[in-house]
Amino acid sequence: MPSKVTSKSNDQLLAEFEGRIAMGDKVEPGDWMPEEYRKNLVRMIGQHAHSEIVGQLPEGKWIPFAPGFRRKLTLVAKVQDEAGHGQLLYRAAETLGKSREEMMDELLSGKAKYSNVFNYPTPTWADVGVIGWLVDTAAVINQSMLAQGSYGPYARAMKRICYEESFHIKQGYDAIVALTHGTPEQKAMAQDAVNRWWYPTLMMSGPPDKISEHTERAMRWRIKTKTNDEVRQEFVDHIVPQIRALGLDVPDPDCQLDKSTGRYKFTAPDWEELRRVVNGDGPMNKERLAVRRKAHEDGLWVREALAVKAAKTA
Amino acid sequence: MSDTQWETYEVFHQSRRGKPHEHVGSVHAPDPAMALQMARDQFARRLECVSLWVVKSKDVTQTDYQDPNFFSRMFDKSYRDPKAFDAPAKEKE
Amino acid sequence: MNELISYLTALADDELVLGHRDSEWTGYAPILEEDIAFSNIAQDELGHSLALYTLAEGLGAPSPDTMAFERSWKQFTCCRFVQYPKGDFAYTVMRQFLFDSAEHVRMKSLASSSYEPLRDCSAKIFAEEAYHLMHTRALVERLGDATEESHKRMKAAATAAFPQALGMFEESEGADTLVKQKIIIPNNLLKEEWLSAVVPILEGASLTVDSQSPSDDGGRRNNHTEHLRQLVADLQQVYQMAPGGSW
Repeated sequence: MPSKVTSKSNDQLLAEFEGRIAMGDKVEPGDWMPEEYRKNLVRMIGQHAHSEIVGQLPEGKWIPFAPGFRRKLTLVAKVQDEAGHGQLLYRAAETLGKSREEMMDELLSGKAKYSNVFNYPTPTWADVGVIGWLVDTAAVINQSMLAQGSYGPYARAMKRICYEESFHIKQGYDAIVALTHGTPEQKAMAQDAVNRWWYPTLMMSGPPDKISEHTERAMRWRIKTKTNDEVRQEFVDHIVPQIRALGLDVPDPDCQLDKSTGRYKFTAPDWEELRRVVNGDGPMNKERLAVRRKAHEDGLWVREALAVKAAKTA
Repeated sequence: MSDTQWETYEVFHQSRRGKPHEHVGSVHAPDPAMALQMARDQFARRLECVSLWVVKSKDVTQTDYQDPNFFSRMFDKSYRDPKAFDAPAKEKE
Repeated sequence: MNELISYLTALADDELVLGHRDSEWTGYAPILEEDIAFSNIAQDELGHSLALYTLAEGLGAPSPDTMAFERSWKQFTCCRFVQYPKGDFAYTVMRQFLFDSAEHVRMKSLASSSYEPLRDCSAKIFAEEAYHLMHTRALVERLGDATEESHKRMKAAATAAFPQALGMFEESEGADTLVKQKIIIPNNLLKEEWLSAVVPILEGASLTVDSQSPSDDGGRRNNHTEHLRQLVADLQQVYQMAPGGSW
């Protein structure tokens, strides 16, 4: 839509917008922006926010069972951070004109998506450590890239989130290290968790570039500054040496260092599985949403009561 | 659908006395007193903090990014800059 | 010294079990901001538990992890109050408010304990509890009479929780020795102070309670609710795979 203040044409505005972004300038709420940019960002930031709060559940499940004071305290703090990140991200999305209530509604009705990785179950304590270590490493690589993005509120939220995520990675890694120094049963539990989370984590960076829509424009508008494949490669190169240093391995015999490039070759995930799970057919999709829906509904009387009380006392 | 998420408050955080309050984000809260508590748990659980301010988002009046004229400075105003009055070294002798 | 170990253990058990119950809200709270706030309270209570077990360890008791993750549920000496399931948010807030108010008077009284490590520890707990109390009191005052539904729920919560809360003031074994040594003051004095603090706040929120309710005692003498059995089983389940091992 044309600017309300000046009489510039859409094309002029778009050219200026893209010019500023190319120079590394940020876009702020209230700036003119193409509708596609706004729509894409609201969807992307919303999805990211939903992932954080749905992501509380697979690990939150283990809080009552955490072994020892330190693990219990750390896990509560970690899951609390996830609520905190959701809060920051919903706020960033709200600056683009969508209310948090509306976004919650879209999540709970199944209309909005969230990171696919949280549709997998966490059957053992080791899953908690592996999520913190693997999934959060993949998340940080992605998020550090997003922190360089063009939309001001999102970039600012990402910087804050990245700082806290580094604690998440360390606590996850530390929990797995402890298991590898433990009994054979504990070690086996750790390896089993890595085996189950390896491919889902690889899928986190998104579909391969060759089938991913929107990549070119997302890069030009600096909504992303690296492609999915680039982020995925970075993750593999970073994490495989760490995994093997602990005496664990990835469930991919073809995952080997290519000495000529210095990068790891690896087997691509099953993209059909990603498509199925993203579209609601994963092991935990229904359950995750049902839990969030219940929390939302159970909490309605509280939200309403506090709003009514504030209106009465104002 | 009715919005039951409460209105938002902008949060300003002062890490220690002597420093300015910095805008760190916003919280949804039912009233100002609860907004301070929510802000403390969301924005001060790790960072050192001696003071928090909260202001209803709707009470923030702001300039329009799209107005090209509000901050305009078109003509040379270097006469306002202290450096403009430095005499060249030669003339001082 | 055994009486002091029993006393510290009872308080630590209270904080552990309540902290555990509080942490059950992480991911399930009524609104995101409250999820964050309540997780803070849960972490604090667990931290207090750790600090109190650590004091007991200094007197010869086993380590905090051993106390929390290896004792049988029947050996715990927490009050029955903290064992009950989390219920709805009204019950949780009411319980937390009543507990925080009790901590407030107890920790304040320990500022003049003749046992220095307990003076120091209680000062820290007092400071953190002051914030909890501000939060839970704010919620009680608002939810108590906001809407018909919130009032109904808070009234039910107060009716259920109040007699249970009185059980917090059941004395541990050997408490009179500690009183004689001026390490603590008697629980019945703390209870009086607590009543004079909480009853007006509850009444101000249109919630009446009966100060003469029979007290839900027994916890200090290992006479527990069935809920504690499951709670401790959950708490210890993973740890028991390798007790005292590498976690």
